[in-house]
Amino acid sequence: MKNLRLTALNGGPPRRTVIRVGEVTIGEGFTVIAGPCSVESEAQTLETARAVKEAGAHMLRGGAFKPRSSPYSFQGLGIKGLQILEKAKKETCLPVVTEVLDPRDVSWVCEYVDVLQIGTRNMQNYSLLKEVGKTDKPVLLKRGMYSTLEEWLNCAEYILAEGNPNVILCERGIRSFDTYTRNTLDLSVVPAVKEVSHLPIFVDPSHGTGKLTLIEPMSLAARAAGADGIMVEVHCNPAEALCDGDQSLSPAMFASMMVKLTHLDICMKEIEGM
Amino acid sequence: MDLKDIRKRIDFLDSKILRILNDRMELALMAKKLKTNVEDSDREKALLDRIRQNSPGLINSEFIEKVYTEIIKESKNLQMGDFSLIGFKGEHGAYDEIASREWDKDLISIPCAGYSQVFEGVRTGLHDYGIVAVENTLGGIVGEVNELLVNTDLYVVGAVELPISLCLLVLSGADHREIRTIYSSSQALAQCTNFLSRNNLEAVQYYDSAGAAKMLAEEMPQGAAVIASKLAAEIYDLHVIKEDMDNFGNNVTRFLVLSKEENKEEGDKCSIVFSTEHRAGTLFNALEVFARKNINLTRIGSIRSSMGDYTFFLDFIGSNRDENVIAALRDVEAVTVNFRFMGCYKERKVG
Repeated sequence: MKNLRLTALNGGPPRRTVIRVGEVTIGEGFTVIAGPCSVESEAQTLETARAVKEAGAHMLRGGAFKPRSSPYSFQGLGIKGLQILEKAKKETCLPVVTEVLDPRDVSWVCEYVDVLQIGTRNMQNYSLLKEVGKTDKPVLLKRGMYSTLEEWLNCAEYILAEGNPNVILCERGIRSFDTYTRNTLDLSVVPAVKEVSHLPIFVDPSHGTGKLTLIEPMSLAARAAGADGIMVEVHCNPAEALCDGDQSLSPAMFASMMVKLTHLDICMKEIEGM
Repeated sequence: MDLKDIRKRIDFLDSKILRILNDRMELALMAKKLKTNVEDSDREKALLDRIRQNSPGLINSEFIEKVYTEIIKESKNLQMGDFSLIGFKGEHGAYDEIASREWDKDLISIPCAGYSQVFEGVRTGLHDYGIVAVENTLGGIVGEVNELLVNTDLYVVGAVELPISLCLLVLSGADHREIRTIYSSSQALAQCTNFLSRNNLEAVQYYDSAGAAKMLAEEMPQGAAVIASKLAAEIYDLHVIKEDMDNFGNNVTRFLVLSKEENKEEGDKCSIVFSTEHRAGTLFNALEVFARKNINLTRIGSIRSSMGDYTFFLDFIGSNRDENVIAALRDVEAVTVNFRFMGCYKERKVG
């Protein structure tokens, strides 16, 4: 970890990075980002946005540019998707997180949303990292699916080195030999990040497990492990989702999970104060 | 070109034909303002003869005669109707046209090349009304219009405050990554400098924002987009990819509606212009009248006529039927020179 000049704690007193996005403060308290995998239509996005807001989510997620394993799968609505996200933000006042795939899109995406997401496949796309490092938008950096903690922090270092201090790390599962889950969610990385870095750490249990039944227990576990927030996929009608339908929570499931998370958050604050 | 490309070209030409037909009908309505009779068989015969002789290539004379007989019939129909025209600066889709629709949606809005043409159109009777922008929250007063207002004998018969939403428009199917150049009016470009510099885009001034939209639709320059209204996007079949692009928000323009006749209905706002003699306290004497009568001024503008000589505009709340206002106007006229009452009218705030 010797080259981590800006992301590491460097032995000093722990100063944690706190990022303000509109009314939301990331790094203080527990932040929930929820929304559909992709923006499919205005109706679907607005309906989901209203539902997650109602259940207590703090921010909205939604993909306009989609990195799909197959070139023939739905690739996202592009600029039209960004316009829909902007509309959802106007209506719900939820700040918006969206993924950016192409360095040529970075300045355009900044015009519409609040937080830029770098996906797992692009974690080590250094030209893209430099480009988002030049913006004034916070960046949610997902962990590469084959990456070590050190490699991941080095990628955050690229963004900080360009002058953008607002990086949020996000664990989203790594590849292992087990095929029961889509990935293996590495929750142990949450306290590990806290030991070595001042950056906030989020957990994405939707991609991390790829299994509907495992999302709630892993969200609760993420809070218990000390994560600063979670990012989950919610779809107003998961059966008809164009992308990741079988790992998307319904609004009702999300609302019931939020009730449990709120309780756990109170308990954990007590324990953390001991 | 495949079938899809050919059909796209045909759709494009059809929308152009519609716009041109609309322009022709507008001219027919304007012509009616300058003649008393709708029927003019000599003019019709000359027109049909010329078209028959000039019909190119695939257009046979029988066909084009049928088309034009219908066009002339419709023009005459319109000329027999009772339409009122309002002139505005710019092309169809300009913010000035949106303001004219907000003032009275039944008026036929007619594009004019500039503000002086709007004044001229009303003065000569070509248009029943004219609408002009006087001030903007971001850009300040519109100097050219204020100068024209000082020197006109037209009346102010209405006012509109319109929020301006500047939108980024592109050709349908355009790739945002290829956009390099943004065309629009100098005012709109000046209000979007943050967006332009963040995205490293070149700004090119055009005489009018809607005119830039029309140019984009017709000439399809590579890598270009325009800043104009949503209405312009509808008219020229362009896509809106970003709304509310201005630097600060709260972008509002105030427009005045002009006519040769004074407004006869009850109003709630008045406008006057006057100059004062070059002596200490003369402007104070005029303003004091309003203070003593407890009349709220809503705008004070000044235009320099020569070095050190100013003409002042005053807008205030009240009706010229109120005793208090009548007395104030009489007192102000007594202490000023070149006093002119420009009108009492209703002001409409949009949104």
